[in-house]
Amino acid sequence: MTAYLIRRFVTSLIVILGIAFITFLAVHIIAPSPGRAVLGDRASQAAVNAFNKQAGYDQPVWVQFLKYMWALLHGNLGFSYKSNQTVDSLIIENAPHSMWLSGISLLLSILIAIPLGIFQAVKRNSVADQSITAFAFTCYSMPQNFLGLLLIGFLAISFHLFPSEASQSEKIIPYITAVRANFLPILTLTLTAVAAYSRYMRSSGLDALAQDYIRLARAKGLSEARVLRRHLFRNASLPMITLIGLSIPALLGGNLVVENLFNSHGLGLLFINELGNEDFNTVIALTLLGGVATVVGNLIADVALTVADPRIRIS
Amino acid sequence: MPPVLDIDHLSTHIQLRKSVVQAVGDISLTIEPGETLGLVGESGCGKSMTGLSIMRLLPNGGHIVEGSITVDGVDVVKLSEREMRDVRGNDVAMIFQDSLTSLNPTMTIGKQIAEQVRRHRSVTRKVATERAAEVLGIVGFPRPRERLANYPHQLSGGQRQRVMIAIALSCDPKLLIADEPTTALDVTIQAQILGLLDDLKERLGMAVLLVTHDMGVVAGRADRVNVMYAGRMVETAPTKELFARMHHPYTQALLGSIPLLTQERHERLFSIPGIPPDLTEPPKGCRFAPRCTRATDQCREVEPALEPASTDHWFSCWHPVDGPIARVVVASPTAADANGSGTGVTATSVGGGAAPAPLAPAAIVPERQWEAGADDANLLMIDQVVREYPVTAGILQRRVASVKAVSDVSFTVGRAETFGLVGESGCGKTTLGKVIVGLEKADSGNVTLRGTDITKLGERELRRFRRDLQMMFQDPIASLDPRMRVGAVLREPMQVQGIGTHKQQEEVIAELLSEVGLPMNAVERFPHEFSGGQRQRIGLARALTLNPQVIVADEPVSALDVSIRSQVLNLMKRLQQTHGLTYVVISHDLAVVKYLSDRIGVMYLGKLVEMGSGDDIYHHAVHHYTAGLIATVPEPDPSRERAKSEIGIRGELPSPVDPPSGCRFRTRCPAAQDVCAEVEPPLRLFHPGHYAACHVPLQEPMPEDGNEPAVSAVSAPSGL
Amino acid sequence: MSIVIGEVAEELRPAEPIPEGGHVQGPRAGWRLALSSFVENKLAVVGSGIVIFFVLFCFVGPFIYRTNQVDTNLLNSFQAPSSQHWLGTDSYGFDELGRIMKGGQAALEIGFLSSAIATVLGTLVGAVAGLVGGVIDGILMRFVDILLSLPLLFVILIISNRYNGATVLSLSIIIGAFSWLVSARLVRGEVLSLRVRDFVLASRTMGANKRHLIYKHLIPNALGVVIVNITFQVADAINLLALLGFLGYGLNYPNVSWGDMLSNALNYLSDGYWWVVYPVGICLVLVVMAFNFIGDALRDTVDVRLRRR
Repeated sequence: MTAYLIRRFVTSLIVILGIAFITFLAVHIIAPSPGRAVLGDRASQAAVNAFNKQAGYDQPVWVQFLKYMWALLHGNLGFSYKSNQTVDSLIIENAPHSMWLSGISLLLSILIAIPLGIFQAVKRNSVADQSITAFAFTCYSMPQNFLGLLLIGFLAISFHLFPSEASQSEKIIPYITAVRANFLPILTLTLTAVAAYSRYMRSSGLDALAQDYIRLARAKGLSEARVLRRHLFRNASLPMITLIGLSIPALLGGNLVVENLFNSHGLGLLFINELGNEDFNTVIALTLLGGVATVVGNLIADVALTVADPRIRIS
Repeated sequence: MPPVLDIDHLSTHIQLRKSVVQAVGDISLTIEPGETLGLVGESGCGKSMTGLSIMRLLPNGGHIVEGSITVDGVDVVKLSEREMRDVRGNDVAMIFQDSLTSLNPTMTIGKQIAEQVRRHRSVTRKVATERAAEVLGIVGFPRPRERLANYPHQLSGGQRQRVMIAIALSCDPKLLIADEPTTALDVTIQAQILGLLDDLKERLGMAVLLVTHDMGVVAGRADRVNVMYAGRMVETAPTKELFARMHHPYTQALLGSIPLLTQERHERLFSIPGIPPDLTEPPKGCRFAPRCTRATDQCREVEPALEPASTDHWFSCWHPVDGPIARVVVASPTAADANGSGTGVTATSVGGGAAPAPLAPAAIVPERQWEAGADDANLLMIDQVVREYPVTAGILQRRVASVKAVSDVSFTVGRAETFGLVGESGCGKTTLGKVIVGLEKADSGNVTLRGTDITKLGERELRRFRRDLQMMFQDPIASLDPRMRVGAVLREPMQVQGIGTHKQQEEVIAELLSEVGLPMNAVERFPHEFSGGQRQRIGLARALTLNPQVIVADEPVSALDVSIRSQVLNLMKRLQQTHGLTYVVISHDLAVVKYLSDRIGVMYLGKLVEMGSGDDIYHHAVHHYTAGLIATVPEPDPSRERAKSEIGIRGELPSPVDPPSGCRFRTRCPAAQDVCAEVEPPLRLFHPGHYAACHVPLQEPMPEDGNEPAVSAVSAPSGL
Repeated sequence: MSIVIGEVAEELRPAEPIPEGGHVQGPRAGWRLALSSFVENKLAVVGSGIVIFFVLFCFVGPFIYRTNQVDTNLLNSFQAPSSQHWLGTDSYGFDELGRIMKGGQAALEIGFLSSAIATVLGTLVGAVAGLVGGVIDGILMRFVDILLSLPLLFVILIISNRYNGATVLSLSIIIGAFSWLVSARLVRGEVLSLRVRDFVLASRTMGANKRHLIYKHLIPNALGVVIVNITFQVADAINLLALLGFLGYGLNYPNVSWGDMLSNALNYLSDGYWWVVYPVGICLVLVVMAFNFIGDALRDTVDVRLRRR
């Protein structure tokens, strides 16, 4: 098992290196002369060249990459000329908001989707199951921005229950405590995730229900509640661990959309703004961060599965 | 004493989306305290549904339509679900076929046992755990306390089945329902588990309902036997009475279609034509009538009731039979027989006049000359074949060990001969079969067909030789492409080999279908539209398309029901005669192998431990493994089964990654000595054509004349 | 389900020419069987109906409900639904219903085209990885791993940002180029599992070469998975397109897709112009849902056929 985890860790590192290289390369092909973007259209070519030379942008791509990676190893993500501060500080300013939004939605959606999916599996094809399935299917088939728009349209504009904009607080503590202001973005993210997870949980629950060990558990005379709690729940939830790990890119994408829609501070909004500003150091850093988050998420899911599943843990 | 279980006119239906399966129709049975009742029948006959009805654990859509099920004086059909839960696991316990899927993979076995104890006895967790350890000890786990923390995947199949039994008896049930308890297990383990069940029944005074398809299992273990067919109880009698004087033609036919170890192997097996009826629309009259040789219009119109022949022997038939079908049984061995049986047996001596004239094989496939002569005895030579699979581990996935699937196996098969390979699962017989047909490369050693070593051939040359080496697969469903019509399936070999025009191929297909007994319209059908037996016929037809010389049949009938099995076995024999085929039959079922084969090789953990004619093996086994294997095969004969005292082979198969030194069987051998661990026993000659590798053989070997051992096994023209 | 009916042994009834193995009766051809189990699924029928409706609505509709989608008319902007403009007009004064038809054309075109690109690419890569195996498989799959770990939306936005002037074709290529990864994994897995199936082994014992195995066994059997995946991919592509449009990286004016029409939706909503938000959004949801329905039903069909083996 240890050997497996070590191998898993090493491949993750390789993948992260690959991500770094591809992101870096892509941005360089797209924006070979950042000086122009920084100094603006009216700057002279000489000034642009001087800027590029001074910042090292005239060196071969691989030299730049190595330098970039070297800096990265020291936690230095570069400088954002547009914001006139380091990318690190930009990220540190904005990350907590995003982490709170996605963290709380992820937690809520797991807490809702797992019991919901099991309930649907147990009561399969009942009216309740079919209604939930229909609702989940609709949410699942909806672009996240439209789901958010619907919620704003009804809950904010028509009924004035919640504001249509997230908390504008730049400090994280007031942001977290602004529950009412952040209700709609969190609801949007949670609904999307619940739709996907509960569908999966339902089918995973159905698979588990068809297993012989459920029949044996019933043959022991256990109550149905105990059969579900002790025998179904854990076995049906195991595949969810992997799914949650895999859904991290979607969560990041969701942040991007939701933060834009609700004008909430965070990395997604930062990305869109800096992309418009052609602030490529920030854009690379954020994309890289997303990739690393995905890899780390998958790695954590694998480790969690290893711990949770005795078949992998003791082999 | 009142019966433990009294089922009265039970009917159970299963509601499907568009139809209703009448799974159990109007059956009655009783079990007395301490009695074992065998409930036998083929798949789909309703025997498992009867067991699940008692537990009220029917699958979705299943419901008891009418009748009563009285367990210890209480009609469980009338109980509320809450009351029923007090019965399950407490008064009645059940064990299922597949122990791997029946145990919760994420819960320790200790907890899985203890939770049932705590459910039915108001005891503390500690006491329940004590009880779990106690029952684990009862079912034969040494040091049970240490096992409590194990998860199911850490145990072998036999051990898991023991755990399931431990769960079942943890609350001292009055009745134990065992639903195919040993079907998924190897014969040696099966014997151990059945012995354990018997022993527990004696010690704990339980009644047992033994649900199985295997007549051999009930013969030895059941006090009475109920035979089910298509949802109906067709006959019930004390075990000996049923086997000796059955009255229902189905019982008679079922027993008659099982190949016996004692059987004269050139006799055609009795076979029941057709397949059981569809229970969504059961036939009006007797449900067996469409397949019954004695059926009359009365049978087709009016269903017979269960009538008593004597107080404890009941049957339902208008035209009862009396006793089993006569069949030729080889007399118990004598010296003369032993000397005579090794020679002079060829397929052409099979007879009874039933064999149709050899059909002209497919016209366009060039028939190879039967160049009679020296070649015949050594048509196929397997010489010192070794096949190992690497086991990798560690961070760099380095090869740390290997699974010794086939270790230095040699034998020769002559033309039109059948060579049987028998052994437990994991003994390497399937791998060896794949090496023979070239699906796997041997690590070393040769496979020689008509003097050409096919292991040395390139892919292009090998392709021509593949015509002569075909394979029949165990699972007739998996071996047919679900997206190909049968016509395309049978055409494929000719297309691959580039033989014949489209029209000629069509003729061959028509001929093949008639040969394997399928109608012409089968060409247009997809594999899933056929029954299991029909699919196996298609598989056989496909293997025959290229007019091969050798067919390797890997468990050809294991996936089939008993009555269908004999149809396919008969067909294989008939085709062997008409085509002069050479078979290598691979099976775990010694009776099947013995029935089909001229000579038999017994494999254990990658080694060929004994080889000889069927009678050599059966009557004069030399190797302790062979003898143990024979002792464990359940025979459908109560007197023989009951005479068996010891449980064949103890212990379980060691890991093929790290096989025991010296003789690989020594860890389970009753006669093992120091030399067995140190020196690997060579194959020695015990009788012309009869070899075995054992230091302490059950018989004296023939005197060695110098250069006898292993290599000579290859060239010995035994059997012909 | 058994399609075999009762049968009688040949020895006993020589008069009746009943084959020894029994009758075979299966009245339906394979594709009809698949079709019938597809039609039995009501959601699949509804899904197909919705897709057909929208294809007609978007491509034939404009010939019946004629509108000017070329010239802006700011005096005419944000008119509420009326008999003249059934769904009102948008900020530029375009007729909204006509706009939805035009936007739907782009959405459907991009959905189909990008999923075609992704399927071809993914199937090729997956098949090569699964068939060749070894080092090539390892490299391809690591590459897929890396791309899968990149946040898709971020990367597409970076590319779209550079190449302004997006067209249906360019957006299809961008979306397709990043959504083949899942089908590559699927096809590879399918190929790997098919390779060791008994019927492929049987074919090998006949001497079949790789070409034969690929064309006769692997492709027909892997096709089901690929087709199922296509429908999901169309749904995902239309969804992704909507997000891009919302973020302002969709088609360029005067071209339009449904997502682009929602890019200022929040302002429209607060101003009360509901007709430029909800109708187009509902169309989006319906089409995506319809493709998901079809995908689910097809997956069940493929599975059922496998289960009936």
